Amino acid sequence: MRLFLLFLFSITAFAQQAPELRLPRQSDGHPDLQGVWRNSSIVAAFDIEGQTAVYNEPGGASVIVDPPNGKLPYLPAARQQADYNAAHRQSDPVGFCHMHGVPRVLVPPFPLEIVQDSDYVAILSETEHSVRIIPLDGRPHSKNYSAWAGDSRGRWEGDTLVVDVTDLNGRTWLDQHGDFVDQNEHVVERFSLTAPDTILYEARVEDPTVYSRPWTLRVPLRRQPKNIELIEYDCIEGERDEAHYPGKETKKP
Amino acid sequence: MKRNLILTVRLALAALTALGTMESYAWSENTAKDLRGIWQVENTAGQNLEGARVIIEPRDGKIPYIASALNVREANFANRATADPETKCFQPGVPRATYLSSPFQILQNERAIYILYQDVHAYRIIYLNGTPHNDGLPYAMGDSRGHWEDNTLVADVTSFSDATWLDHYGNFHSDALHVVERYTRSDHNTLTYEATIEDPKVFAQPWKIRMPLRLQTKPGVQIFEDECEEDQQGVRHHVR
Repeated sequence: MRLFLLFLFSITAFAQQAPELRLPRQSDGHPDLQGVWRNSSIVAAFDIEGQTAVYNEPGGASVIVDPPNGKLPYLPAARQQADYNAAHRQSDPVGFCHMHGVPRVLVPPFPLEIVQDSDYVAILSETEHSVRIIPLDGRPHSKNYSAWAGDSRGRWEGDTLVVDVTDLNGRTWLDQHGDFVDQNEHVVERFSLTAPDTILYEARVEDPTVYSRPWTLRVPLRRQPKNIELIEYDCIEGERDEAHYPGKETKKP
Repeated sequence: MKRNLILTVRLALAALTALGTMESYAWSENTAKDLRGIWQVENTAGQNLEGARVIIEPRDGKIPYIASALNVREANFANRATADPETKCFQPGVPRATYLSSPFQILQNERAIYILYQDVHAYRIIYLNGTPHNDGLPYAMGDSRGHWEDNTLVADVTSFSDATWLDHYGNFHSDALHVVERYTRSDHNTLTYEATIEDPKVFAQPWKIRMPLRLQTKPGVQIFEDECEEDQQGVRHHVR
Protein backbone atom coordinates (compact mmCIF):
# COMPACT_ATOMS: atom_id res chain seq x y z
CA MET A 1 0.00 0.00 0.00
CA ARG A 2 2.72 2.40 0.97
CA LEU A 3 4.54 1.57 -2.22
CA PHE A 4 1.41 2.30 -4.23
CA LEU A 5 1.04 5.69 -2.56
CA LEU A 6 4.65 6.46 -3.30
CA PHE A 7 4.00 5.50 -6.90
CA LEU A 8 1.02 7.89 -7.06
CA PHE A 9 3.09 10.62 -5.48
CA SER A 10 5.84 10.28 -8.04
CA ILE A 11 3.32 10.45 -10.88
CA THR A 12 1.91 13.66 -9.42
CA ALA A 13 5.38 15.10 -9.01
CA PHE A 14 6.20 14.20 -12.58
CA ALA A 15 3.00 15.84 -13.82
CA GLN A 16 3.90 19.00 -11.95
CA GLN A 17 7.35 19.07 -13.49
CA ALA A 18 6.06 18.61 -17.03
CA PRO A 19 6.67 21.78 -19.04
CA GLU A 20 3.57 23.93 -19.18
CA LEU A 21 1.89 24.07 -22.58
CA ARG A 22 2.79 27.42 -24.10
CA LEU A 23 -0.48 28.82 -25.40
CA PRO A 24 -0.90 32.10 -27.25
CA ARG A 25 -2.22 34.63 -24.74
CA GLN A 26 -3.69 38.10 -24.90
CA SER A 27 -2.33 41.03 -22.91
CA ASP A 28 -4.97 40.38 -20.23
CA GLY A 29 -3.48 36.90 -19.70
CA HIS A 30 -6.37 34.90 -21.12
CA PRO A 31 -5.72 32.38 -23.89
CA ASP A 32 -5.88 34.01 -27.31
CA LEU A 33 -8.56 32.16 -29.28
CA GLN A 34 -8.25 34.43 -32.32
CA GLY A 35 -7.81 32.93 -35.73
CA VAL A 36 -9.70 30.99 -38.37
CA TRP A 37 -10.92 27.59 -37.17
CA ARG A 38 -12.80 24.64 -38.58
CA ASN A 39 -14.16 21.34 -37.40
CA SER A 40 -12.67 19.03 -39.99
CA SER A 41 -14.93 16.07 -39.23
CA ILE A 42 -17.76 15.94 -41.72
CA VAL A 43 -19.96 13.20 -40.35
CA ALA A 44 -21.38 15.25 -37.46
CA ALA A 45 -22.84 17.72 -39.94
CA PHE A 46 -25.02 14.84 -41.14
CA ASP A 47 -25.74 13.19 -37.81
CA ILE A 48 -24.25 14.15 -34.46
CA GLU A 49 -25.08 10.63 -33.23
CA GLY A 50 -22.74 9.26 -35.91
CA GLN A 51 -23.78 7.02 -38.76
CA THR A 52 -22.61 4.31 -41.08
CA ALA A 53 -21.59 5.50 -44.52
CA VAL A 54 -24.33 5.65 -47.12
CA TYR A 55 -24.25 6.88 -50.70
CA ASN A 56 -23.07 10.53 -50.71
CA GLU A 57 -22.62 10.63 -46.94
CA PRO A 58 -19.59 9.62 -44.90
CA GLY A 59 -19.72 7.33 -41.89
CA GLY A 60 -18.20 8.03 -38.52
CA ALA A 61 -18.58 8.05 -34.76
CA SER A 62 -20.97 10.05 -32.61
CA VAL A 63 -19.66 13.37 -31.28
CA ILE A 64 -21.87 13.00 -28.21
CA VAL A 65 -19.66 12.20 -25.23
CA ASP A 66 -22.40 12.18 -22.62
CA PRO A 67 -24.41 9.97 -22.36
CA PRO A 68 -21.55 7.55 -22.95
CA ASN A 69 -23.49 5.53 -25.52
CA GLY A 70 -23.35 8.55 -27.88
CA LYS A 71 -27.12 8.66 -28.29
CA LEU A 72 -29.42 11.63 -27.71
CA PRO A 73 -31.63 10.99 -24.65
CA TYR A 74 -34.93 11.86 -26.34
CA LEU A 75 -38.23 11.80 -24.51
CA PRO A 76 -40.59 9.38 -26.33
CA ALA A 77 -42.70 12.06 -28.10
CA ALA A 78 -39.56 13.95 -29.16
CA ARG A 79 -38.05 10.73 -30.52
CA GLN A 80 -41.09 10.48 -32.80
CA GLN A 81 -40.59 14.08 -33.96
CA ALA A 82 -36.91 13.40 -34.65
CA ASP A 83 -37.80 10.31 -36.69
CA TYR A 84 -40.36 12.35 -38.61
CA ASN A 85 -37.77 15.07 -39.28
CA ALA A 86 -35.26 12.45 -40.45
CA ALA A 87 -37.81 11.29 -43.01
CA HIS A 88 -38.42 14.91 -44.09
CA ARG A 89 -34.91 16.28 -44.30
CA GLN A 90 -36.04 18.88 -46.82
CA SER A 91 -37.53 20.73 -43.82
CA ASP A 92 -34.06 21.48 -42.44
CA PRO A 93 -34.19 25.23 -41.59
CA VAL A 94 -30.67 25.64 -42.98
CA GLY A 95 -32.12 24.72 -46.37
CA PHE A 96 -34.19 27.90 -46.12
CA CYS A 97 -31.16 30.09 -45.52
CA HIS A 98 -31.63 30.24 -41.78
CA MET A 99 -28.89 30.28 -39.22
CA HIS A 100 -27.65 27.02 -37.80
CA GLY A 101 -28.28 27.87 -34.15
CA VAL A 102 -26.19 26.68 -31.21
CA PRO A 103 -24.34 24.33 -31.03
CA ARG A 104 -24.87 23.39 -34.69
CA VAL A 105 -23.04 26.45 -36.07
CA LEU A 106 -19.75 25.12 -34.68
CA VAL A 107 -20.17 21.61 -36.07
CA PRO A 108 -20.25 21.54 -39.92
CA PRO A 109 -16.89 21.89 -41.68
CA PHE A 110 -17.25 25.61 -42.52
CA PRO A 111 -14.52 28.00 -41.42
CA LEU A 112 -15.21 30.45 -38.62
CA GLU A 113 -13.16 33.32 -37.30
CA ILE A 114 -12.84 34.21 -33.64
CA VAL A 115 -12.14 37.83 -32.74
CA GLN A 116 -11.37 38.52 -29.10
CA ASP A 117 -10.51 41.34 -26.73
CA SER A 118 -11.04 41.80 -23.01
CA ASP A 119 -14.67 42.84 -23.49
CA TYR A 120 -15.96 40.61 -26.27
CA VAL A 121 -15.47 37.38 -28.12
CA ALA A 122 -17.12 37.32 -31.54
CA ILE A 123 -17.57 34.21 -33.64
CA LEU A 124 -17.98 34.98 -37.32
CA SER A 125 -19.17 32.01 -39.33
CA GLU A 126 -18.77 31.79 -43.04
CA THR A 127 -21.99 29.84 -43.34
CA GLU A 128 -25.06 32.10 -43.44
CA HIS A 129 -22.69 34.96 -42.56
CA SER A 130 -23.89 34.43 -39.03
CA VAL A 131 -22.26 36.25 -36.14
CA ARG A 132 -22.32 35.65 -32.43
CA ILE A 133 -21.18 38.58 -30.29
CA ILE A 134 -20.41 37.36 -26.78
CA PRO A 135 -20.01 40.06 -24.11
CA LEU A 136 -17.58 39.15 -21.30
CA ASP A 137 -18.52 41.98 -18.94
CA GLY A 138 -20.87 39.98 -16.76
CA ARG A 139 -24.02 41.71 -17.95
CA PRO A 140 -27.26 39.73 -17.50
CA HIS A 141 -29.03 37.98 -20.38
CA SER A 142 -31.44 40.06 -22.46
CA LYS A 143 -35.06 40.07 -21.39
CA ASN A 144 -37.93 38.97 -23.63
CA TYR A 145 -35.55 37.99 -26.39
CA SER A 146 -35.56 35.09 -28.78
CA ALA A 147 -33.08 34.45 -31.55
CA TRP A 148 -31.78 31.74 -33.86
CA ALA A 149 -28.33 32.09 -32.30
CA GLY A 150 -29.72 32.85 -28.84
CA ASP A 151 -28.26 35.32 -26.38
CA SER A 152 -24.67 34.55 -25.33
CA ARG A 153 -22.77 35.65 -22.21
CA GLY A 154 -19.18 34.60 -21.73
CA ARG A 155 -16.78 34.31 -18.83
CA TRP A 156 -13.38 32.79 -18.21
CA GLU A 157 -13.04 29.80 -15.93
CA GLY A 158 -9.26 29.47 -15.71
CA ASP A 159 -8.13 29.05 -19.30
CA THR A 160 -11.56 27.96 -20.57
CA LEU A 161 -14.04 30.35 -22.15
CA VAL A 162 -17.49 29.39 -20.86
CA VAL A 163 -20.48 30.74 -22.78
CA ASP A 164 -24.01 30.56 -21.46
CA VAL A 165 -26.59 30.64 -24.24
CA THR A 166 -30.28 31.27 -23.59
CA ASP A 167 -33.21 32.77 -25.54
CA LEU A 168 -32.81 30.27 -28.38
CA ASN A 169 -35.85 30.28 -30.62
CA GLY A 170 -36.31 26.52 -30.80
CA ARG A 171 -36.64 26.45 -34.59
CA THR A 172 -33.20 25.03 -35.27
CA TRP A 173 -32.02 21.52 -35.95
CA LEU A 174 -28.81 19.99 -34.66
CA ASP A 175 -27.79 18.22 -37.88
CA GLN A 176 -29.14 17.25 -41.29
CA HIS A 177 -30.68 14.15 -39.78
CA GLY A 178 -33.47 16.05 -38.06
CA ASP A 179 -32.16 15.97 -34.50
CA PHE A 180 -33.69 19.04 -32.93
CA VAL A 181 -34.30 21.30 -29.95
CA ASP A 182 -37.22 23.47 -28.91
CA GLN A 183 -37.52 26.89 -27.27
CA ASN A 184 -36.52 25.49 -23.87
CA GLU A 185 -33.00 24.80 -25.09
CA HIS A 186 -30.20 26.05 -22.87
CA VAL A 187 -26.57 25.57 -23.88
CA VAL A 188 -23.35 25.94 -21.90
CA GLU A 189 -20.35 25.97 -24.21
CA ARG A 190 -16.71 25.51 -23.26
CA PHE A 191 -13.88 26.64 -25.53
CA SER A 192 -10.49 25.31 -24.41
CA LEU A 193 -7.27 25.88 -26.26
CA THR A 194 -5.71 22.46 -25.68
CA ALA A 195 -2.79 23.15 -28.02
CA PRO A 196 -1.76 26.27 -29.96
CA ASP A 197 -3.68 25.02 -32.99
CA THR A 198 -6.59 23.18 -31.38
CA ILE A 199 -9.69 24.38 -29.57
CA LEU A 200 -11.65 21.66 -27.88
CA TYR A 201 -15.27 22.76 -28.21
CA GLU A 202 -17.82 21.29 -25.86
CA ALA A 203 -21.52 22.06 -25.63
CA ARG A 204 -23.78 20.85 -22.87
CA VAL A 205 -27.36 21.03 -24.07
CA GLU A 206 -30.37 20.84 -21.82
CA ASP A 207 -33.93 20.99 -23.02
CA PRO A 208 -36.34 19.34 -20.58
CA THR A 209 -39.23 19.20 -23.05
CA VAL A 210 -37.17 17.28 -25.63
CA TYR A 211 -34.55 15.35 -23.64
CA SER A 212 -34.79 13.28 -20.46
CA ARG A 213 -31.39 14.60 -19.31
CA PRO A 214 -28.71 17.09 -20.40
CA TRP A 215 -26.23 15.81 -22.97
CA THR A 216 -22.84 16.94 -24.18
CA LEU A 217 -21.15 17.01 -27.58
CA ARG A 218 -17.46 17.61 -28.19
CA VAL A 219 -15.60 18.47 -31.39
CA PRO A 220 -12.05 19.68 -31.99
CA LEU A 221 -11.66 22.90 -33.97
CA ARG A 222 -8.43 23.04 -35.95
CA ARG A 223 -6.61 26.28 -36.69
CA GLN A 224 -6.56 27.07 -40.40
CA PRO A 225 -3.47 28.41 -42.19
CA LYS A 226 -2.78 32.15 -41.82
CA ASN A 227 -3.75 32.95 -45.40
CA ILE A 228 -7.27 31.52 -45.06
CA GLU A 229 -9.97 34.20 -45.24
CA LEU A 230 -13.70 33.80 -44.73
CA ILE A 231 -15.46 34.52 -48.00
CA GLU A 232 -18.93 35.93 -48.42
CA TYR A 233 -21.64 33.31 -48.13
CA ASP A 234 -24.92 34.62 -49.44
CA CYS A 235 -27.88 32.30 -49.26
CA ILE A 236 -30.71 33.49 -51.47
CA GLU A 237 -33.87 31.46 -51.78
CA GLY A 238 -34.98 33.16 -54.95
CA GLU A 239 -38.53 32.09 -54.25
CA ARG A 240 -40.98 33.12 -51.61
CA ASP A 241 -41.20 30.98 -48.61
CA GLU A 242 -44.33 31.65 -46.61
CA ALA A 243 -44.63 27.96 -45.74
CA HIS A 244 -41.67 28.27 -43.43
CA TYR A 245 -42.89 31.17 -41.36
CA PRO A 246 -42.95 30.67 -37.62
CA GLY A 247 -45.79 28.33 -36.76
CA LYS A 248 -46.22 27.16 -40.33
CA GLU A 249 -43.39 24.67 -40.48
CA THR A 250 -44.28 21.11 -41.25
CA LYS A 251 -44.71 19.52 -37.87
CA LYS A 252 -45.47 15.93 -37.09
CA PRO A 253 -48.89 15.03 -38.55
CA MET B 1 -27.44 92.14 -22.30
CA LYS B 2 -28.52 89.78 -25.02
CA ARG B 3 -24.87 89.22 -25.88
CA ASN B 4 -24.11 88.35 -22.27
CA LEU B 5 -26.95 85.86 -22.24
CA ILE B 6 -25.59 84.15 -25.35
CA LEU B 7 -22.15 84.09 -23.78
CA THR B 8 -23.53 82.53 -20.60
CA VAL B 9 -25.35 79.87 -22.58
CA ARG B 10 -22.21 79.14 -24.56
CA LEU B 11 -20.13 78.83 -21.41
CA ALA B 12 -22.71 76.54 -19.85
CA LEU B 13 -22.73 74.37 -23.01
CA ALA B 14 -18.95 74.25 -23.02
CA ALA B 15 -18.93 73.18 -19.38
CA LEU B 16 -21.49 70.45 -20.09
CA THR B 17 -19.48 69.22 -23.06
CA ALA B 18 -16.35 69.13 -20.92
CA LEU B 19 -18.22 67.17 -18.27
CA GLY B 20 -19.41 64.72 -20.90
CA THR B 21 -15.87 64.20 -22.12
CA MET B 22 -14.58 63.66 -18.61
CA GLU B 23 -17.04 60.86 -18.00
CA SER B 24 -15.80 58.84 -20.93
CA TYR B 25 -12.29 57.48 -21.09
CA ALA B 26 -9.64 59.92 -22.17
CA TRP B 27 -9.54 60.21 -25.95
CA SER B 28 -6.05 60.82 -27.18
CA GLU B 29 -3.86 60.33 -30.19
CA ASN B 30 -3.11 56.87 -28.82
CA THR B 31 -6.75 55.84 -28.76
CA ALA B 32 -7.67 57.51 -32.04
CA LYS B 33 -6.97 54.30 -33.93
CA ASP B 34 -9.27 52.37 -31.62
CA LEU B 35 -12.52 52.24 -33.57
CA ARG B 36 -14.18 49.69 -31.31
CA GLY B 37 -17.71 50.38 -30.20
CA ILE B 38 -21.32 50.27 -31.32
CA TRP B 39 -22.03 53.01 -33.85
CA GLN B 40 -25.05 54.40 -35.64
CA VAL B 41 -25.88 57.33 -37.91
CA GLU B 42 -28.43 59.96 -36.94
CA ASN B 43 -29.61 60.65 -40.49
CA THR B 44 -32.06 59.22 -43.01
CA ALA B 45 -29.53 58.52 -45.78
CA GLY B 46 -30.57 54.86 -45.94
CA GLN B 47 -33.97 56.04 -47.07
CA ASN B 48 -32.96 58.87 -49.37
CA LEU B 49 -29.31 59.69 -49.89
CA GLU B 50 -29.85 62.95 -51.79
CA GLY B 51 -32.43 64.19 -49.28
CA ALA B 52 -30.18 63.56 -46.28
CA ARG B 53 -27.66 66.23 -47.32
CA VAL B 54 -24.68 63.92 -46.98
CA ILE B 55 -23.33 64.25 -50.53
CA ILE B 56 -20.40 66.66 -50.35
CA GLU B 57 -19.19 66.16 -53.95
CA PRO B 58 -20.45 67.25 -56.42
CA ARG B 59 -21.38 70.44 -54.62
CA ASP B 60 -24.99 70.43 -55.80
CA GLY B 61 -25.56 67.35 -53.62
CA LYS B 62 -26.93 65.27 -56.52
CA ILE B 63 -25.67 61.87 -57.60
CA PRO B 64 -24.01 62.41 -61.01
CA TYR B 65 -25.76 59.70 -63.04
CA ILE B 66 -25.03 59.18 -66.71
CA ALA B 67 -28.21 59.81 -68.72
CA SER B 68 -29.19 56.18 -69.33
CA ALA B 69 -28.80 55.30 -65.64
CA LEU B 70 -31.26 57.98 -64.58
CA ASN B 71 -34.10 56.00 -66.16
CA VAL B 72 -33.14 52.96 -64.11
CA ARG B 73 -33.14 55.03 -60.95
CA GLU B 74 -36.63 56.33 -61.79
CA ALA B 75 -37.96 52.81 -62.39
CA ASN B 76 -36.33 51.64 -59.16
CA PHE B 77 -37.95 54.50 -57.29
CA ALA B 78 -41.39 53.69 -58.68
CA ASN B 79 -41.08 50.04 -57.67
CA ARG B 80 -39.12 50.53 -54.47
CA ALA B 81 -41.69 48.92 -52.15
CA THR B 82 -40.85 45.51 -53.57
CA ALA B 83 -37.80 46.08 -55.79
CA ASP B 84 -35.45 47.34 -53.08
CA PRO B 85 -33.07 44.42 -52.44
CA GLU B 86 -33.33 45.21 -48.73
CA THR B 87 -36.96 44.08 -48.87
CA LYS B 88 -35.80 40.71 -50.20
CA CYS B 89 -33.55 40.15 -47.21
CA PHE B 90 -30.38 40.66 -49.26
CA GLN B 91 -27.31 41.98 -47.49
CA PRO B 92 -27.34 45.79 -47.56
CA GLY B 93 -24.16 46.40 -49.55
CA VAL B 94 -21.54 49.13 -49.19
CA PRO B 95 -21.77 52.00 -48.34
CA ARG B 96 -25.48 51.56 -47.51
CA ALA B 97 -24.76 49.27 -44.55
CA THR B 98 -23.13 52.22 -42.80
CA TYR B 99 -26.14 54.54 -42.86
CA LEU B 100 -29.06 52.22 -42.21
CA SER B 101 -31.29 52.95 -39.24
CA SER B 102 -29.69 50.12 -37.24
CA PRO B 103 -26.35 50.04 -35.41
CA PHE B 104 -23.16 48.12 -36.09
CA GLN B 105 -20.29 47.06 -33.90
CA ILE B 106 -16.60 47.40 -34.73
CA LEU B 107 -14.03 44.98 -33.34
CA GLN B 108 -10.41 45.05 -34.35
CA ASN B 109 -7.13 43.23 -34.04
CA GLU B 110 -3.82 43.28 -35.88
CA ARG B 111 -5.20 41.33 -38.80
CA ALA B 112 -8.31 43.32 -39.57
CA ILE B 113 -11.15 45.65 -38.66
CA TYR B 114 -14.37 43.68 -38.26
CA ILE B 115 -17.66 45.49 -38.86
CA LEU B 116 -20.64 43.53 -37.57
CA TYR B 117 -23.87 45.09 -38.83
CA GLN B 118 -27.15 44.43 -37.08
CA ASP B 119 -28.99 44.46 -40.42
CA VAL B 120 -29.41 40.83 -41.59
CA HIS B 121 -26.29 39.97 -39.53
CA ALA B 122 -24.09 41.10 -42.41
CA TYR B 123 -20.41 41.53 -41.59
CA ARG B 124 -17.27 42.78 -43.27
CA ILE B 125 -13.65 42.04 -42.61
CA ILE B 126 -11.35 44.90 -43.64
CA TYR B 127 -7.93 43.25 -43.81
CA LEU B 128 -5.00 45.36 -42.61
CA ASN B 129 -2.32 42.78 -43.39
CA GLY B 130 -1.39 44.04 -46.84
CA THR B 131 -3.10 41.20 -48.68
CA PRO B 132 -4.42 41.89 -52.18
CA HIS B 133 -8.11 42.05 -53.17
CA ASN B 134 -10.07 39.00 -54.20
CA ASP B 135 -10.95 40.67 -57.45
CA GLY B 136 -13.85 40.07 -59.80
CA LEU B 137 -16.17 38.24 -57.42
CA PRO B 138 -19.81 39.23 -57.02
CA TYR B 139 -19.99 40.04 -53.32
CA ALA B 140 -22.91 41.97 -51.84
CA MET B 141 -20.58 43.47 -49.22
CA GLY B 142 -17.52 43.73 -51.48
CA ASP B 143 -13.93 42.78 -50.73
CA SER B 144 -12.27 45.22 -48.31
CA ARG B 145 -8.56 45.92 -47.83
CA GLY B 146 -7.54 48.67 -45.45
CA HIS B 147 -4.62 50.70 -44.25
CA TRP B 148 -4.05 53.59 -41.87
CA GLU B 149 -3.31 57.11 -43.09
CA ASP B 150 -2.40 58.88 -39.86
CA ASN B 151 -5.42 58.24 -37.65
CA THR B 152 -7.78 57.45 -40.52
CA LEU B 153 -8.69 53.94 -41.56
CA VAL B 154 -8.87 53.88 -45.35
CA ALA B 155 -10.74 50.91 -46.82
CA ASP B 156 -10.62 50.10 -50.50
CA VAL B 157 -13.67 48.07 -51.47
CA THR B 158 -14.04 46.19 -54.77
CA SER B 159 -15.61 42.97 -56.10
CA PHE B 160 -19.24 43.97 -55.90
CA SER B 161 -22.33 42.35 -57.33
CA ASP B 162 -24.97 44.62 -58.85
CA ALA B 163 -27.58 43.21 -56.45
CA THR B 164 -27.58 45.98 -53.85
CA TRP B 165 -28.87 49.55 -53.87
CA LEU B 166 -27.47 52.69 -52.28
CA ASP B 167 -30.74 53.71 -50.59
CA HIS B 168 -34.45 52.88 -50.55
CA TYR B 169 -35.16 55.59 -53.16
CA GLY B 170 -33.70 53.46 -55.92
CA ASN B 171 -30.20 54.87 -56.15
CA PHE B 172 -28.10 52.03 -57.47
CA HIS B 173 -24.77 50.88 -58.85
CA SER B 174 -23.37 48.21 -61.14
CA ASP B 175 -20.79 45.48 -60.59
CA ALA B 176 -18.16 48.08 -61.52
CA LEU B 177 -18.68 49.82 -58.18
CA HIS B 178 -15.53 50.88 -56.36
CA VAL B 179 -15.77 52.49 -52.92
CA VAL B 180 -13.00 54.11 -50.92
CA GLU B 181 -14.07 54.63 -47.32
CA ARG B 182 -12.39 56.76 -44.67
CA TYR B 183 -13.17 56.19 -40.98
CA THR B 184 -11.83 58.79 -38.54
CA ARG B 185 -12.52 58.78 -34.82
CA SER B 186 -12.73 62.55 -34.59
CA ASP B 187 -13.63 62.47 -30.90
CA HIS B 188 -14.52 59.78 -28.40
CA ASN B 189 -18.17 59.65 -29.39
CA THR B 190 -17.86 60.40 -33.11
CA LEU B 191 -16.67 58.36 -36.04
CA THR B 192 -16.56 60.47 -39.17
CA TYR B 193 -17.41 58.38 -42.20
CA GLU B 194 -16.51 59.40 -45.70
CA ALA B 195 -16.93 57.38 -48.88
CA THR B 196 -15.90 58.08 -52.45
CA ILE B 197 -18.11 56.18 -54.84
CA GLU B 198 -17.17 55.49 -58.42
CA ASP B 199 -18.83 53.34 -61.03
CA PRO B 200 -18.17 54.33 -64.65
CA LYS B 201 -21.14 52.26 -65.87
CA VAL B 202 -23.56 54.36 -63.80
CA PHE B 203 -21.96 57.64 -62.72
CA ALA B 204 -20.39 60.37 -64.83
CA GLN B 205 -17.82 61.11 -62.12
CA PRO B 206 -16.84 59.89 -58.65
CA TRP B 207 -18.90 61.40 -55.86
CA LYS B 208 -18.48 61.65 -52.16
CA ILE B 209 -20.56 61.37 -49.01
CA ARG B 210 -19.66 62.31 -45.45
CA MET B 211 -21.52 61.85 -42.19
CA PRO B 212 -20.91 61.42 -38.46
CA LEU B 213 -21.57 58.12 -36.70
CA ARG B 214 -22.35 58.29 -32.99
CA LEU B 215 -21.06 55.94 -30.33
CA GLN B 216 -24.01 54.17 -28.68
CA THR B 217 -23.36 54.53 -24.98
CA LYS B 218 -26.57 53.35 -23.34
CA PRO B 219 -25.58 50.81 -20.65
CA GLY B 220 -25.98 47.24 -21.89
CA VAL B 221 -26.35 48.29 -25.54
CA GLN B 222 -25.87 45.33 -27.86
CA ILE B 223 -26.35 44.25 -31.45
CA PHE B 224 -29.48 42.14 -31.67
CA GLU B 225 -30.09 39.38 -34.14
CA ASP B 226 -31.91 40.43 -37.30
CA GLU B 227 -32.90 37.33 -39.24
CA CYS B 228 -34.99 38.12 -42.28
CA GLU B 229 -37.49 36.16 -44.32
CA GLU B 230 -39.61 37.41 -47.20
CA ASP B 231 -43.32 36.75 -47.58
CA GLN B 232 -45.52 35.98 -50.60
CA GLN B 233 -45.32 39.59 -51.69
CA GLY B 234 -41.54 39.62 -51.39
CA VAL B 235 -41.63 41.91 -48.39
CA ARG B 236 -39.22 41.27 -45.57
CA HIS B 237 -40.11 40.15 -42.11
CA HIS B 238 -37.92 39.78 -39.11
CA VAL B 239 -38.26 36.34 -37.70
CA ARG B 240 -37.34 35.28 -34.24
